[in-house]
Amino acid sequence: MRTSLREDYLEAILIHTGRYSHPPTAQDLSEVLHIDKGEVSAHLRELADRGDLRLSDDGRIVLTDQGTTTGKQIIKKHETLQSFLSEILGMDRSSASDEACRIEHAVSDETIDRLGDYLRSPVIQPPAGDRAKPVHSCPRGHQGHTSCGYARSLMDYEEGQRLIVRDILGRGCSKRLLDLGVVPGQLVVIKRKLRNGSIVVQVKDCAVALSPENASAICVERIP
Amino acid sequence: MKIALIGNPGAGKSLIFNQLTGLGVEVNKYPGSAIELEYGNVCYKNEKIELVDLPGIYSLDGDSEEEVLVRRFLEKDGADSLIVVLDATKLERNLYLLTQIAEYSLPMVVVVNMIDIAESQGLIIDTARLATIFGTEVLPTAAVLGKNIDRILPLALSSSQSPVLGVPYDHHIEAALRSLEKTMGTPRRKNLLALQGTGDDAALRDSAGSIATEIEQRHQMSVGQIIATNRHNFARSVAAEVVKQSPEKKRFDLDSILTRAFPGIPILFLILFSLLLSVFVIGSWMESRIVGGFTEFILPPFAALGLHPLAERIGYSVLVAMEAGLGIAFPFVFTFYLGLSFLEDTGYMTRAAFLADRSMHRLGLHGEAIIPMVIGFGCAVPAVMSLRILKTRREQTIAAFLIILVPCSARTVVVAGIVAAFVGIIWAFSIYLIIFILIIITAIVMSRLTPGEQFGMIVEMPSLRKPRIQLVIRKSWLRIKEFLFIAMPLLIVTSVFLGLFQYFGVIDIFQSLVAPITVSLLGLPEYASTALLFGIFRKELAFETLAVLSGTADLGSVMTGVQLYTFAIVSILFIPCISTVAVLYKQLGAKIAILTSAYSLFLGMLIGVLISLLMK
Repeated sequence: MRTSLREDYLEAILIHTGRYSHPPTAQDLSEVLHIDKGEVSAHLRELADRGDLRLSDDGRIVLTDQGTTTGKQIIKKHETLQSFLSEILGMDRSSASDEACRIEHAVSDETIDRLGDYLRSPVIQPPAGDRAKPVHSCPRGHQGHTSCGYARSLMDYEEGQRLIVRDILGRGCSKRLLDLGVVPGQLVVIKRKLRNGSIVVQVKDCAVALSPENASAICVERIP
Repeated sequence: MKIALIGNPGAGKSLIFNQLTGLGVEVNKYPGSAIELEYGNVCYKNEKIELVDLPGIYSLDGDSEEEVLVRRFLEKDGADSLIVVLDATKLERNLYLLTQIAEYSLPMVVVVNMIDIAESQGLIIDTARLATIFGTEVLPTAAVLGKNIDRILPLALSSSQSPVLGVPYDHHIEAALRSLEKTMGTPRRKNLLALQGTGDDAALRDSAGSIATEIEQRHQMSVGQIIATNRHNFARSVAAEVVKQSPEKKRFDLDSILTRAFPGIPILFLILFSLLLSVFVIGSWMESRIVGGFTEFILPPFAALGLHPLAERIGYSVLVAMEAGLGIAFPFVFTFYLGLSFLEDTGYMTRAAFLADRSMHRLGLHGEAIIPMVIGFGCAVPAVMSLRILKTRREQTIAAFLIILVPCSARTVVVAGIVAAFVGIIWAFSIYLIIFILIIITAIVMSRLTPGEQFGMIVEMPSLRKPRIQLVIRKSWLRIKEFLFIAMPLLIVTSVFLGLFQYFGVIDIFQSLVAPITVSLLGLPEYASTALLFGIFRKELAFETLAVLSGTADLGSVMTGVQLYTFAIVSILFIPCISTVAVLYKQLGAKIAILTSAYSLFLGMLIGVLISLLMK
């Protein structure tokens, strides 16, 4: 039996148990996993032999401690991946869930732990061994990204472009910038961009001049 | 009765203040702050009203010196009425500040200024609607035209009201505010500050801090950012209700020329060069008049008094110091200030900062640092004072080291009087070149050595406008007053000491003590060291003392070209003048004052020795 199939069974049993507050029957599993009922019974016997679960007298499937632990791990992987895909990369939740279903079987525990850390406080972590200096520059525990990642910054656009501010990172989260109106959701227009990266943006009828390092900390999205 | 003017920078506050008070304005440092406030008294219907012009700010929550000052003013001093000045052309951004001021619940009237410019841009502002929203009186004005200015004070006196509305904050913030109010018993406004990590109540900051961390975890945004966003959104909804935009006529925008690399940068150089050149030409002419007046009308009568030699020495020193101070202050520094204030009032200096940003980064600074540098060409004293606009200690330190090297107008006089006159004009320019190279090397070294992080420039570029002459003169006058207050007493004291030293022969001892350095290392005549010493209290005096000590104004006849060149460059570099050291000490502390002085002494000696060796 493939590991991924075993993990799908354990996950499905746990979720069902959690949702309906009683363990599933073989019939339930057959519906959830879209697997023929005869095949499900064969698989369940195999899993029972491995010590993952047992069949109760009323035909319900109960996980052993071993099965519960493995199942919980896989659910955690699924949730972490799904949050990352939807919240950080911006996929819609149902495709994020489908994608997570596929990745969860291959992904390592370390990756999941690091993704979890990242989601709790999205700081770009330096590689292990280089941990002494985290990249934080903002007071008040604001996230300390130093680049917009997949999103684009002001620096990526040309003069005349109309943009919506999405996020302001590390350096950019200076109080002055906020007070001048550069906040998430604000419309800005690039009025002037010199070849060396200094930039003038129009914010709320006012022109604001920025150094390149400030401009690259302002993540924006283009208005088509 | 106390009334304060408050608003964004560039909203026209100063002009309104000026028009309301006329003459009789006092400038005082606000207690515990380096910033000066303008106070003026007005009589209205037999009542004495004290008007205060608060510095222009963008926000009441920040920690810039201006913002802290205004916050303290509102909390501690308060006012019987606030006149909130808004810029009609940038109403939405100005409303952001108004929403914060409203949280202080002081009686106020709102003035929507520059209504004329807004109208010409096709903006129609419904001030009556604004008045209903905020629950205060709102008066449209055009300060440049004087429109409705006379109605401000009567309105403030008769119908100041506390505004009625508050910004609806995010529900997590609101919950935090309520819980802080319940547990700590502190008012909403203080809690808002504490959530953003400011305010002077440590216990409140602590408990607000833990709530703030929780909110930040949940929102993935700093509390400051959430609050600012809420306020901006609120200001936007108010502006949408109040401002109607009719299609704007396409007008020519001067910035399409000024802020481009070409021709913007050549224009920048042209403007700065003509500023310095005209200061030099006008300054030299005025200076010769002032010095001439002294030597002709004041010194001979004083000598004729026939006082006791010691008293005569002291009196003479005082007179010379006054001559020195006035000879530099009005012709050079004041002329320079007029030009600079003119440029600042047009809004051009922010364009200059933008264009210079990249080059300034190479020096470990950013665009805004060009302003202290340019001021330094006039005089180092106000240049050091203006270091305040740089926000970090690192930038201030680097810039301080550079400012003491920038050739100020007094040093220009030395170069012109000694090198250009007796050695050659090309050689005079070579001195500028050497200084320029030294500045760059110093900057590169300093930007590596100075600890701290580099932050970039975030600066509003106000719309270009015609400068208002009365404001330009007034600003220059305030600045020259600052200069006179610091420099004059120092000049007089130093001069008296030097005079006494001379009287008691200490100078001669000093001269022979440092003779090995002056004569063998620098290859200068022995008396040059005294001239250099005098140069410490006014650079230009080095040149005049040299002429006095050598016994002739024709320096070329007593010293060789190499000697003159060496003398000029040493006197320019070595130790900033005493007034500069004093402001450095005041502004940045003893350490920086000593370090910069030691550095320039070292640099002066080094370059002097190198030149005398190379040219022998």
